[in-house]
Amino acid sequence: MTLPDRSALSRRDYLRALVAVGGATALSACTSESDEVEVPTGTDDPESLPERQHAWNEALSRDDDGNVSPPEHHVLVALSLASEPTDEVRERVEDALQTLERAYEWSTEGLLFTLGYTPAYFDRFDGELPESVDLPEPTAIVGEVDEFDEFDALLHLASDHSQVVLEAEEGLFGEHDELNGLAVETDLTGVFERVDERRRTGFVGEGLPAEHAALGGVPDSVPDDAPFFMGFRSGFDESQATEDRVTIDDGPFVDGTTEHVSSMRIQLSQWFDQESHEMRVAKTFSPEHADDELVGEVGEKLSTSTALTTERIEATEDDARSGVVGHAQKAARAREDGEPLLLRRDFNTVDGDEPGLHFLSLQAEIDAFVRVRETMEGDDLGLPSLNNGITGYIFPDRRGNFLVPPRSLRALPPPDPG
Amino acid sequence: MQDNDIDRRTVLALTGTTAGTLALAGCLGNGDDDDENGDEDDRTDENGDDAPADLWEPVEDPPDAVYVPTHRESMIMLESLDAGEYRIAPMLSYPHSFWTVAGSDVSRELPEDMSGVHMMFSLWDPETDTVLPANIGASIEVFYEGERVDQRDSWSMISQEMGFHFGDNVSLEEDGTYEVEVDLPALSARTTGDLEGRFTDDETVSFEFEYDQAFRDDVSDVTWIDEDEWGDRGALEPMDHGGHDEHGEHDEHGEHGNHDDEHGEHEHGEHDHHHVPYSQLPAVDAFPGTLLVEADGNGEPPAETDDLPRSGDAAVLATLLESDSRLAEDGRYLLVSPRTPYNRVPLPEMSLNATVERDGETVHDALDLEQTVDDEYGHHYGASLAEVEPGDTVTLEITAPPQIARHQGYETAFLEMDPIELTVPETQ
Repeated sequence: MTLPDRSALSRRDYLRALVAVGGATALSACTSESDEVEVPTGTDDPESLPERQHAWNEALSRDDDGNVSPPEHHVLVALSLASEPTDEVRERVEDALQTLERAYEWSTEGLLFTLGYTPAYFDRFDGELPESVDLPEPTAIVGEVDEFDEFDALLHLASDHSQVVLEAEEGLFGEHDELNGLAVETDLTGVFERVDERRRTGFVGEGLPAEHAALGGVPDSVPDDAPFFMGFRSGFDESQATEDRVTIDDGPFVDGTTEHVSSMRIQLSQWFDQESHEMRVAKTFSPEHADDELVGEVGEKLSTSTALTTERIEATEDDARSGVVGHAQKAARAREDGEPLLLRRDFNTVDGDEPGLHFLSLQAEIDAFVRVRETMEGDDLGLPSLNNGITGYIFPDRRGNFLVPPRSLRALPPPDPG
Repeated sequence: MQDNDIDRRTVLALTGTTAGTLALAGCLGNGDDDDENGDEDDRTDENGDDAPADLWEPVEDPPDAVYVPTHRESMIMLESLDAGEYRIAPMLSYPHSFWTVAGSDVSRELPEDMSGVHMMFSLWDPETDTVLPANIGASIEVFYEGERVDQRDSWSMISQEMGFHFGDNVSLEEDGTYEVEVDLPALSARTTGDLEGRFTDDETVSFEFEYDQAFRDDVSDVTWIDEDEWGDRGALEPMDHGGHDEHGEHDEHGEHGNHDDEHGEHEHGEHDHHHVPYSQLPAVDAFPGTLLVEADGNGEPPAETDDLPRSGDAAVLATLLESDSRLAEDGRYLLVSPRTPYNRVPLPEMSLNATVERDGETVHDALDLEQTVDDEYGHHYGASLAEVEPGDTVTLEITAPPQIARHQGYETAFLEMDPIELTVPETQ
């Protein structure tokens, strides 16, 4: 594994690149860059942690407008089950995860994580998932997606500190002896194997995309303070589902959720070099956002919402007759009773040295994601692809569906727990 | 609206740093000199007499209409390929400047990286020789030594010489062999006549090309138009894709010189695969039915494209086909065929509707016209009108101008498009 060239990158970029590379050497390089960082330790009392693995919002910080700020560094570790899911093995998984919780505070300064399971994982059991869980095999939904996550489990590690996500991953797989100074007594070695070619990484934060301008495919024209590659803030509270909304509210997996992850490349040179700011605003939000200058350079004029009134959402079809619609207004047509269905925890990536997005969303049932995605495609609008919101600029090539069980069932659950 | 305000120094700096042929093309104004170094020097000196300084030279104060651009762009045509029912001709040139359109906003694409190609594709039905100028949304993937180096959806475009095509600029870092994969989705427009029920499958084609100095030399053969004529109303003549005709242009001032054959030598392959149809719509007299006349005109039916009503400089033919026409479903069929003046290039991706009024009463209110491709009448917008009589007023409202990118000379036209008020003549 080749480490990035320290002298060619800013410190931030270097840390980001180390997370992308992963492994013990990257961790060591990362730690020596981050000596001064003090990471808060966690808890010996697992009961003090929320039953919902996905209950992150309380632990996340807020931006100046009061929106939840996602953690800066993300790793999605793809896992393949290497042993039979016996009670003994379950106990070992639980012990290993509790080691993480002892080592790191449940916060962005420490570590937030979820462990989710694919339909393929549940296939090995005789029993069936209950009707209260909607977890179909992933399908293309739209376009030409032809790769699907068919490994068993996905560990999502997130922290504001790059060395925490690297250390947690290495510690869990026997490549590192200590987690935040705490000796690792139980790890996942022998239970899970990492599927290295499916490991994914990414980052969120003001200024981060522009720092990647030196990497392939990210044009210099990405605004310096843009938090996402496409140039605008995202994750406004009013366009996010609540954690309650995305939580399974019935059956044995109550307090769990479903997770969809799609990975896509983004065509940024067209987006930034061939289009005006007004066009990008119109295609991201709505033509009215562009006409009325509601957004600002990177979305700073928007506070806690995308300023999508019912009228702007309902105007989507009419706007299509004028030649262009916005992604946000178009996708918002899938809202129910005015409420968004998805809780997005997506992040940008330069995996494979190409600018992209790992779109991670939580919803009570996978079907909610499917409905939103089909609505977002806007096939009904009869527009040229490059004027149909952002759909012509993104190239998804992989999808995966996961059940993120409640914390008490997170260790190798059977499909029909008693 | 559009960004014509190009920083000249930037342009010079950009072209000056790109070792090569592009710079040369801009400066010499002829294709006789293959000495790139000399060319580059000439260019930056800007000391030519009537040789323009650079390829991206904007025309000052162009009219809000089709106008004569600064130069002809040369290109290389690769062998045509069949993909399912489609036939596609890939063409390559140096990176071009063009204008993208979203709603009524226009943005100029000014290639920053002259290392690369302008990739263009013509798509047609080989059985009927009908160009398929509808929302293609074809995506392009480019591979170098087995690795993907680019992926994008293409722009649908019009240019005076090429007519309707789709493509984009693609940066290429290395000289060598590139493989291109083009994904052609099913045709989104309604199809009629011999095209009905066809082009319903997604298809993929791939081809290879060499990107090297020889390529750059081949495509650098730009011909400049006399600077006095830049911005005049008029258009370059369609390029002859057969490669054995001379180029020309026609405008309101007559013919220009410089009719060199610029690309014939680059062609190869079987004769059948030389032919690329130009997306030219039939002339006015090819359309049956009752031609609608301008409400405030002299009542004479239009005889040729020049006589047609204009909106945003588009010439708009509208005819009412009889109820026994194969296109009519319920009543008569209103066929609206907007085209560029001079070259009769279709104008896809518009939104337009028709309102029919009789004695001040509305008979049809803002009826949407559907984008259609027909083997006989080509690309048009149409709808059946259950109720329409001689003497009725038919108002065409254009809610979206053509949502297609434009090459120089088309970017200021077909944008602000006023409604057109027509009358169904009493007798014809």
